[in-house]
Amino acid sequence: MPLSAGELRRYSRHLSLAEIGVAGQEKLQAARVLVIGAGGLGSPAALYLAAGGIGSLGVLDFDRVDESNLQRQVLYDTAGIGMPKAELARMRLAALNPELQFQAHQTELCAANVQGIFENYDVVIDGSDRIATRYLVNDACVIYGKALVSAAIHRFEGHAMTYVPGRGPCYRCLFPEMAEGVAPNCAEAGVLGVLPGVLGLIQATEAIKLVVGIGLPLIGRLLTYDALEMRFQELRFTRRVDCAVCGEHPTITAPRDPAGFCTADELRRVRSISAAELAQRIHETGQPISLIDVREPAEFAASHLPRAINIPLNTIEQHHRQLQHAGTVIFLCRSGVRSRQACALADRMGVSEAWQLQGGLLAWKAEIDPSLRL
Amino acid sequence: MACTVHVASPLRQYTGGAATVSAEGATLEEILTDLDRRFPGMRFRMIDEQQRVRSHIRIFIDTHEAPDLKQTVQPQQPVHLLCALSGG
Repeated sequence: MPLSAGELRRYSRHLSLAEIGVAGQEKLQAARVLVIGAGGLGSPAALYLAAGGIGSLGVLDFDRVDESNLQRQVLYDTAGIGMPKAELARMRLAALNPELQFQAHQTELCAANVQGIFENYDVVIDGSDRIATRYLVNDACVIYGKALVSAAIHRFEGHAMTYVPGRGPCYRCLFPEMAEGVAPNCAEAGVLGVLPGVLGLIQATEAIKLVVGIGLPLIGRLLTYDALEMRFQELRFTRRVDCAVCGEHPTITAPRDPAGFCTADELRRVRSISAAELAQRIHETGQPISLIDVREPAEFAASHLPRAINIPLNTIEQHHRQLQHAGTVIFLCRSGVRSRQACALADRMGVSEAWQLQGGLLAWKAEIDPSLRL
Repeated sequence: MACTVHVASPLRQYTGGAATVSAEGATLEEILTDLDRRFPGMRFRMIDEQQRVRSHIRIFIDTHEAPDLKQTVQPQQPVHLLCALSGG
């Protein structure tokens, strides 16, 4: 559709760029982009994509605004605390650029809904904060032939990469498989508020380049950014012929939820105990409790709490009878992510007294026993 | 023979917060051994008991991924220890 007089004025700085011009702006107007996770990364990405004239922009997030989000999630303001992010984002973006189409997906992405959502978009921006979602998004983009711009952040560091079907490696080519919890998220480790601004805008830049068809995308290149050192680095990686989803003989041919997948609501309902409270229960009250360490066997072998039993997270569901008769169960892991998931699974299995160690063994080491080897 | 090692953010708890350290060694294996001598526990965080690079870690020499720990490293080639991130 030709640009209107108002659009010619609004996008005049784009139109002045020979690389974009009217033809490029019309491509942006016809583009359909989905932003997954309206958090630190998704906020700046969505704002700039809307400002830049992406014609159809979807925002997917099941969460509500928390006060701790406002340090970096620039889509929201104080008045929005407690309100659904996806809908707030839609309203904010519509106010910024009323001529565009915005869709709020207030849902948690899973194998059952990903195809129906993705079929309405051409480019996907992944700003999620769970490993399980990152793999689901990557696999769905490969299977359904969508371009993907992925980024992730931690403390002062960020990564970004782009996948385009048939043109280079996917996320699984870099990290073939990974357990939830081994890659720390912002809630555990903290994050510099402006960091996702940098990475989210790199994602928006990549999406605009892909839509218009200009420049050199981050295909086969992982861009790393260190805010403390103020250094960008490009690391190259290639498509793996044995990649489970984009390789020569893929074993993942349909999106799937990982074993033991828990919904965000289930994770939110998990009960936590602090390291100090756990130490008191172990040493002072003498109450019988079962300490279940859900780390991998090699991690457990390196160091663990006395009397702890090792049941790795991916085998928790196989031990449901043992857990149902274990009395009070405290799940442990390194940082508290895997134990939270184990606890949610235990709740689902009907274990009545299931808790997880808040902050994991890292918190135990910091507060109780510095000799623990982690 | 010393080379420069860029340390991923989640691994800096071992290096006292340092983003860049130097390490001695002609191969990746030797460099990781030297790092572990100076920063105890760091190697185990990256390499499992079967001597495989852990699934969330990738090691690059200069700008290319190292296929195994036997790779030689020239003094002018930086080593990058990359760790998967999940924050958004």
